[in-house]
Amino acid sequence: MAQIPNLGNAPINLTSIRDQSQKELITILKNIRGKKCLVIDPNLGGSLSLIVQTSLLREHGVELRHLNADPIQTECTKIVYLVRTRLDLMKFICSHAHNDASKGLQREYFLYFVPRRAVACEKILEEEKVHHLMTIGEYPLYLLPLDEDILSFELDNAFKECAVDGDMSSLWYIAKAIHKLEFSFGLIPNVRAKGKASVRVADILNRMQAEEPVNSSEMGVPEINTLILLDREVDMVTPMCSQLTYEGLLDEFLRVNNGAVELDSSIMGVQQEGKKIKVPLNSSDKLFKEIRDLNFEVVVQVLRQKATSMKQDYTEMTTTNQTVSELKDFVKKLNSLPEITRHINLAQHLSTFTSKPSFLGRLDMEQTIVEAQSYDICFEYIEEMIHKQEPLVNVLRLLILFSVTNAGLPKKNFDYLRRELLHSYGFEHMATLNNLEKAGLIRKQESKSNWLTIKRALQLVVDDTDTANPNDISYVFSGYAPLSIRLVQHAVRSGWRSVEEILKLLPGPHSETKRSGFASSPSFNTLPGAVSNMDKVGDGRRSLVLVVFIGGVTFAEISALRFLSAQEGMAYDLIVGTTKIINGHTVTETFVENLG
Amino acid sequence: MAAISVAAEWQLLYNRYYRKPEIYSMAWKNVDLSRNKVACASMGGPIAVIRDDSKIVQLYAESALRKLRIFNSAGVQISETVWKNPGGRLIGMAWTEDQILVCATQDGTVYRYNIHSELIEPTISMGKECFEQSVVECVFWGNGMVCVNEANQLFCIPDFKNPKPCMLLGEVEQLPMPPLCVAVIEPQYTMSGNVEVLVGVDDDHVLLVEEDGGVQQVSVEVGPIQKMVVSGNGKLLACFSHDGKLLVMSTDFSNIIFEYNCESALPPEQLAWCGMDSVLLYWDDMLLMVGPYGDPVRYVYDEPIILIPECDGVRILTNTSLEFLQRVSDSTESIFKIGSTLPAALLYDALDHFDRRSAKADENLRLIRSSLPEAVEACIDAAGHEFDVSRQRTLLRAASYGQAFCHFQRDRFQEMCKTLRVLNAVRNHDIGIPLSIQQYKLLTPSILVGRLINAHRHALAVRISDYLGMNQEVVIMHWACAKIAASLAEVVIMHWACAKIAASLAIPDDALLEILLEKLRICKGISYAAVAAHADKSGRRKLTAMLVEHEPRSSKQVPLLLSIGEEDTALTKATECGDTDLVYLVLFHIWQKRPALELFGMIQARPLARDLFISYGRCYKHEFLKDFFLSTGQLQDVSFLLWKESWELSKNPMASKGSPLQGPRIKLIEKAQSLFAETKEHAFESKAAEEHAKLLRIQHELEVTTKQAIFVDSSISDTIRTCIVLGNHRAAMKVRTEFKVSEKRWYWLKVFALATIRDWDALEKFSKEKRPPIGYRPFVEACIDADEKGEALKYIPKLADPREKAEAYARIGMAKEAADAASQAKDGELLGRLKLSFAQNAAASSIFDTLRDRLSFQGVS
Repeated sequence: MAQIPNLGNAPINLTSIRDQSQKELITILKNIRGKKCLVIDPNLGGSLSLIVQTSLLREHGVELRHLNADPIQTECTKIVYLVRTRLDLMKFICSHAHNDASKGLQREYFLYFVPRRAVACEKILEEEKVHHLMTIGEYPLYLLPLDEDILSFELDNAFKECAVDGDMSSLWYIAKAIHKLEFSFGLIPNVRAKGKASVRVADILNRMQAEEPVNSSEMGVPEINTLILLDREVDMVTPMCSQLTYEGLLDEFLRVNNGAVELDSSIMGVQQEGKKIKVPLNSSDKLFKEIRDLNFEVVVQVLRQKATSMKQDYTEMTTTNQTVSELKDFVKKLNSLPEITRHINLAQHLSTFTSKPSFLGRLDMEQTIVEAQSYDICFEYIEEMIHKQEPLVNVLRLLILFSVTNAGLPKKNFDYLRRELLHSYGFEHMATLNNLEKAGLIRKQESKSNWLTIKRALQLVVDDTDTANPNDISYVFSGYAPLSIRLVQHAVRSGWRSVEEILKLLPGPHSETKRSGFASSPSFNTLPGAVSNMDKVGDGRRSLVLVVFIGGVTFAEISALRFLSAQEGMAYDLIVGTTKIINGHTVTETFVENLG
Repeated sequence: MAAISVAAEWQLLYNRYYRKPEIYSMAWKNVDLSRNKVACASMGGPIAVIRDDSKIVQLYAESALRKLRIFNSAGVQISETVWKNPGGRLIGMAWTEDQILVCATQDGTVYRYNIHSELIEPTISMGKECFEQSVVECVFWGNGMVCVNEANQLFCIPDFKNPKPCMLLGEVEQLPMPPLCVAVIEPQYTMSGNVEVLVGVDDDHVLLVEEDGGVQQVSVEVGPIQKMVVSGNGKLLACFSHDGKLLVMSTDFSNIIFEYNCESALPPEQLAWCGMDSVLLYWDDMLLMVGPYGDPVRYVYDEPIILIPECDGVRILTNTSLEFLQRVSDSTESIFKIGSTLPAALLYDALDHFDRRSAKADENLRLIRSSLPEAVEACIDAAGHEFDVSRQRTLLRAASYGQAFCHFQRDRFQEMCKTLRVLNAVRNHDIGIPLSIQQYKLLTPSILVGRLINAHRHALAVRISDYLGMNQEVVIMHWACAKIAASLAEVVIMHWACAKIAASLAIPDDALLEILLEKLRICKGISYAAVAAHADKSGRRKLTAMLVEHEPRSSKQVPLLLSIGEEDTALTKATECGDTDLVYLVLFHIWQKRPALELFGMIQARPLARDLFISYGRCYKHEFLKDFFLSTGQLQDVSFLLWKESWELSKNPMASKGSPLQGPRIKLIEKAQSLFAETKEHAFESKAAEEHAKLLRIQHELEVTTKQAIFVDSSISDTIRTCIVLGNHRAAMKVRTEFKVSEKRWYWLKVFALATIRDWDALEKFSKEKRPPIGYRPFVEACIDADEKGEALKYIPKLADPREKAEAYARIGMAKEAADAASQAKDGELLGRLKLSFAQNAAASSIFDTLRDRLSFQGVS
């Protein structure tokens, strides 16, 4: 099975988006004639692997390299850089050019920015006197379909840049990506946003519509009915909790990267000493589609059932006489055998982690913190983690959860823990702490926490959660219903109105707008009946809600959304847009910055 | 009557008819092709004419200076200029796909002209080899050119859009002799995507030269080739051999498709493909058309001609006329072929009878009733292939007559009418673009409109794009195409507006603005900024400002505001629109133009601009950023920068060898510390910096005394652990007191350190020093982690909490003890969990089952 997912079942035509990106990339490569060395920003590697197969690149005379400080070793005289518009990458390119010049290498440089050129980057090239050597272009990859219902904007650092650096570039990129979608699928009539960044994106989106309008009269009924924008900042509790769905756990322990995990081949039952293999994980794998969103406990049971029934069939097959059609059925079933084996291997590997006492203890602690009952126990637990010098990110993750649910820590505790952190992990982490403080993730307490009110009002902790036959999204965390998805649940059902009071307790403003493509005609509100028409797409498909997470979303939250979408009485299909798929670990890592 | 005369003009080549209608009689006077170098663009493009300086010609009443003249295909002059370029003799001249005239001279300079005879800067040089060894021959294709110099080296410009000359052959090896002939396989038809050059040299082989420098020898059995030309699709090659044979073979030389003996040892002056079916050879006054079968067709000319190959035929230019030699299309043949009784012919005939009110019309129709749709289709198709308007009309009338009696797709008819209107419009003498329908489809309407704009045929361009856009629901299936059509009109109006500004110097700003707005409003989404920029270039400041206000797109508005000095407004607009790239654009502009303090003042009140400036500064301009922070009093940020720099110092290899170079680092940190201390809110940071400086000093001392460079840049906890591991307990103690490390942390650190060196005796001794302040758990954990069950057992019984005890037992696999402890704790949940971890072990798990039953706990899973 390929890593590039089959998007045929997507509720909107995502294949065309991917094909477009593929075509644009190939055109770039075609226009640079002959053999060339393609140097890509390592962070783009994953994205590209979801767009084109490496073999196709090779067909176009491409030699692939990753961008880093080392000079490029290649026979090719044409060097094609494909990089995100990031200031820090420019110094590598400059040093390559300087290095080549000092060695007297005559090379042609082509520099393609993803998704677009940026004045600031080119300024650095100019100052380093290499700008004139470069042929500069852009590769407008604003969004990338990760799966049938997931779009990623591939902005790994968006959250940190907005929250810490005040660099809002990513918001413009997000708005641009959504606006691009609108050009294909029609102007989205309802926009609901919560959080500072989200409201800003909604605003930029409206500006873009004014500057470069999507003409809705030409396009008929828009395919996407509602856009819900949500800042990650609004709910930092959820990503800090350990995900308990199958896909979520895979990500927590093995890191799912652009729809694939990489692990030792021995785990997958392939005997090749020390070799890594990539296991694709997307909805093209039927079994995975079935179990990815389930609680891991249940996954083990499902797999066991499948294996048992398979075995039974096999015994029947060998002991009794079968008709040809029965044989055919059996052979058909056999086709699913590799999938079953694959997931049994993965699940077994996962359970080596989940059965560890340290993991269970950690889950316990997360639960305690979320319930916000015993401050002292939590405090001491974290203190001890620091003293034992457990991995820094693990500590920070729990500390963030602790700080966010308590609206910060009392000054004395705050300073104490910070001092212990610096003493245990080194003073270079001052910058990390400073970042986290700026982003409000680990901070001094200034007012009373309203977490208990929020938790109660939105019923975030559900006591009797049946993970096997769930009736609420809380199954994804075995008892905790993710705050973010609760908000979406309300927003889809009845807009922000019903949760107005709670929204005020959460960080950032919120907004709700209706838009229409006809600038001169009255809005739909004044046309009775028009609104209900908008809810149905002509051919009987359910209309769509696009939920965009600015700052990233976890697999567990996506699972919860899929659960919502599959509920009876749900009038919408949901698709997810995100700056990046995250988990508590990866999102915390973006804030870690060594002074050194 | 008419029908007979049509087919009478045709010539038969084996089983195919060819015709050669005259399209234009040339409007030019006194142009003698034999005296001139002539370049004709394909697709009905313009003709460039310049006196040939390689021939001796008699001058009539004309200047000795040469003139480059550009005509349309009908011989109407578009423009002219005096040729004053240095560089010696003009060797080659041709039009590129973008209708740019390229002229290559002897010294390897390539001049480019647009259709208005305006020189396009810069000129391109083919390099010093060409300068020193004159260019002798040039071959052009779509957008590129290959040339050969006297030293038999081969050069190439692969793409005029991005003109970079390169040497194909000559660095190591040259051509063995001056080439007999050169031909080119266009990059789009080669495997490598690079141009391949075929060079005919002596004996019997041809060299195949590729752009990456590869040279292959291909032997050809027929001996030296005098002339060759590649077909329009790059697959076939026509060659004229030394013994007077015409050979057609595939371009990989694998097989000869046919040969024809021309009975002339003299190679033809011109050799060209006519479509894909036949080859034309031209000697002095004879044009020979050779096909794969049958006798060739001969045409005689008593004046010089030039063959212009097109995708579906050849245009023949003479001093007085332009003809188009093409294969007669199947539909035309079916109607006009003498004696044809095909349905289409009968339909055409029926119309004739109908017009003459003869009842035979009806008879004809009855005859072809069942095949009427195909007859209609043939008439429509044939109309498309006609250049003669009245014949187009008759054919279309025939089609419409037939259409009335059968079901036929109306769109097809309308579409053809529309296409023909456009074609007839551009074929007009004045415009002079004789496109055939096939060429038109290949060229696409948008490029055609683009060419009209370039030729300053604005009115026609607008009308065509409008005409095609108007009925978009019929013609244009996809809305995206509509977008293109719209933007075409946009381009045209833009062009007009700019021309208007240039021409209306006398009109006052307000009035001109009105005139402009009136037209610009027609086009939604047109760039007011572009017009404004033009106004600015013409020196009309006020008009510029007025136009900018009308621009909705910030990306266009902001740069213009900058260019007219409205920096503050520009920054506000850029910040508002959320496009950080624009903010940077404004920032750098101000940065360059204004003193630093003014920049600082401007961005201080604008958070987005300020933060972006800081981001850039952090990455690239540390010192300048420090100035900024100092000027705004953000001392703590300066401190962070200093602190960061202290680490950069440590990366300096000179500093990390434990040498006294820690000094400068510590100094930086202390400076940071003092700046932190300036503000009360940063007491924590100040204290941390102070401790950091102290730590570095201590670590430095430790490195000196232990002679091991393993301390610097490790944390306080790590330093303590390292000391203990090295057995230096006094130093560990000293660090502990120096930094007031708490009892709790101290115990964890020491226990773990002792476990690392597996000094179990010391560990035990330590446990007995006094009652450990955090209990015995660290001891238990350290032992279990080190896999020392025996050691762990020393401490487990001392654990105070029975739950901890149970878990510890469980971890070292002692189920019974674990169960006992758990039952002491009376914790059902714990029991369940323990059971899970003993799930592999049936005996152990049964212990838990019995226990649980005995305790009868609820909710245990």
